[in-house]
Amino acid sequence: MEMDKLGVIATFIHNIIVYNIPLLYGTVGEIVVEKSGSLNLGVEGIMAVGAIFGYIVGCYTNSLFIGIATAFALGALMGLLFAALTVSLQANQNITGLTLTTFGLGVYFFVGNAIKAVRWPIMSDYSNIKSGFADLPIPVLSDIPVIGKGLFSHNILVYLGIVIALVMWYYLNRTSPGLRLRAIGENPGSADSVGINVKRYKYLHICLGCGIMGIGGYYMGLNMSGSFNSACWINGYGWIAVALVIFANWNTAAAILGTFVFGFFNTLRVSGSSLAVAFPEPLGWLAKVPTQLYQALPFIITAIVLVVTSIRKREGSGLPAALGLNYFREER
Amino acid sequence: MGFHIVKRDTCPLWKKAGFYVVAVLAALVIGGILLFAMGVDPFAYYSRMFTMGMVGNKIAYKAFENYLKVFVPLALTSVALSLAFKMRFWNIGGEGQFILGAIASATVALKLGPTLPNAITLILMCLAAMLAAGLYGVFVAALKARFGTNETLMTLMLNYVALYLLIFLGETKADWNFFLQEKSARPVFEDFSALASFPRIMLGKFGLNICVILTFVIGALVFVYLKYTKHGYEISVVGDSTGTAHYAGMKVNAIVLRTVFLSACLIGLAAAFKVGTAGVLSTAITEDVGWTGIIVAWLSQLNTAIIFVVSALISMLHYGSVAAAATFSKVDSSFANMLQGVILFLVLTADFFIRFRIVRSKKGGSK
Repeated sequence: MEMDKLGVIATFIHNIIVYNIPLLYGTVGEIVVEKSGSLNLGVEGIMAVGAIFGYIVGCYTNSLFIGIATAFALGALMGLLFAALTVSLQANQNITGLTLTTFGLGVYFFVGNAIKAVRWPIMSDYSNIKSGFADLPIPVLSDIPVIGKGLFSHNILVYLGIVIALVMWYYLNRTSPGLRLRAIGENPGSADSVGINVKRYKYLHICLGCGIMGIGGYYMGLNMSGSFNSACWINGYGWIAVALVIFANWNTAAAILGTFVFGFFNTLRVSGSSLAVAFPEPLGWLAKVPTQLYQALPFIITAIVLVVTSIRKREGSGLPAALGLNYFREER
Repeated sequence: MGFHIVKRDTCPLWKKAGFYVVAVLAALVIGGILLFAMGVDPFAYYSRMFTMGMVGNKIAYKAFENYLKVFVPLALTSVALSLAFKMRFWNIGGEGQFILGAIASATVALKLGPTLPNAITLILMCLAAMLAAGLYGVFVAALKARFGTNETLMTLMLNYVALYLLIFLGETKADWNFFLQEKSARPVFEDFSALASFPRIMLGKFGLNICVILTFVIGALVFVYLKYTKHGYEISVVGDSTGTAHYAGMKVNAIVLRTVFLSACLIGLAAAFKVGTAGVLSTAITEDVGWTGIIVAWLSQLNTAIIFVVSALISMLHYGSVAAAATFSKVDSSFANMLQGVILFLVLTADFFIRFRIVRSKKGGSK
């Protein structure tokens, strides 16, 4: 009985990570984009496009790696569209981003239904995808009771997501291209005047960030075992990622922790009842909390964070000063 | 660099219109190529879509009534959003404001509907919806005015808070929850169409819902308000430059608060129209008008008259693609969303050529 309770906790921790790391991809990608001064509200659509193409191409080639590469490429392609419109053609970023979401979800259902009409690839038929997505326990660490299974026994995309987040933190904060990028996000005019190629930096990082989001979308598709129905695999995670960027204060390493916090509520929604059953005395009340409260919590918390940081007036805030504003050289 | 871009001072109207028409046609051609590649005749599909399956349909009047049900909330929401956008206040919280308006008007219908006459219930529904949505919107404007809180992100967050509140009401069976049917064991929203329903003017078999007329009247009023009143002038000055507005002695914060409140109120009214016509809540009550409305307002350059035309076309796209999907089973109705995206991308491109000119740089440069 005692072991069983520990098992419930281990599964709970395991689920926090498995089901919420896609959020980390979306968040890290969006931070990279926003650090260049672009507010991209198309995360949901970009993840959806990465997901559907990554899944289908990955299955047909029976290669998880090709799936990941495709998802990245399609995400980056959506990023290219966003960059072309907002950087070169000076289109409004909010509008372009929102349209990217509508467009991306349209593409997701259109392509998905078209493939379904012919032959939908079923994930379990593709041995390499299935085995590639299986858990890879880290030796020694995964033998620790409870947290071993909870924290150190995951699929390759979990590890990849954490690595990307840490690498991006290093890149943004400790390298000179990262510094230049942040300078563009703060004040593109001064960055331009010291000889930084603002356009090239924006293009590259918008595409990079959107590519990372694409992988996150693919991951969500794999989490759903690729079952395609009327609800999109992304299911609002793109919007939670936009919120998480703020919660993590535009810091990709802090985004890992933020993912755990948001993931914790998300997992309580799904498996709060199993905790309530395992620990009726201290946690029985969990079964009574409406699931919608857990769903709304990330947005409520972020709203509070937004208000609090605005009261404290940018002190230590990672919000890029030029976020959402287009840069037109002749108006410098 | 061989080329650089310069701002145009003016662009003649015919040229503007020409750019936009080319952009929309190009989008339709791209969609047509896609249809052709799928083995669908694009002309047949488009004609089915743009006639919304009404040609050769014995109950075409019914289809047109349903089309108007899509059009009314979208047009009114887009007009409302354009008010805020004119001041560069990024109210992307149309979804949330619409939802709160819907909940408020359903509350009135269910609580007061049984005792009050239909007309009074309807008026109270509209007022309650406007108040609820207006306060939800002005809350963010107040935060922005007081603390400089980013309104784009804030309204975005509040959309989801409202959405999950609505889902909570729709899925929680409890004694206090009067939104649900008492008799049903499963959670189902209570129908109140018998208690409060907007009247229709019968023109033969076709019933013209009074909301359609009201929407056009409100559109005309907003047009006049923006163009010929002091308030409208203040809005346009604040939109151009808050610095200028301050300098001219305008109370910028008061203008922003007032206009955002009005904007959100009208979205609430759109919700009341929707709820009072449908006669029942649903978790998908907004049908994404809060999102689509932003795109419509922008496509229309925030011009009230054009918003009505664009709303009519976008509603046609959405309603028509569903109608066409019945005939062309290969083409999913999500085609409309894709096409809408392509149209907007190309219009944004056209916009660039209207605002800027590409000039060949002279050797040595003039600067």
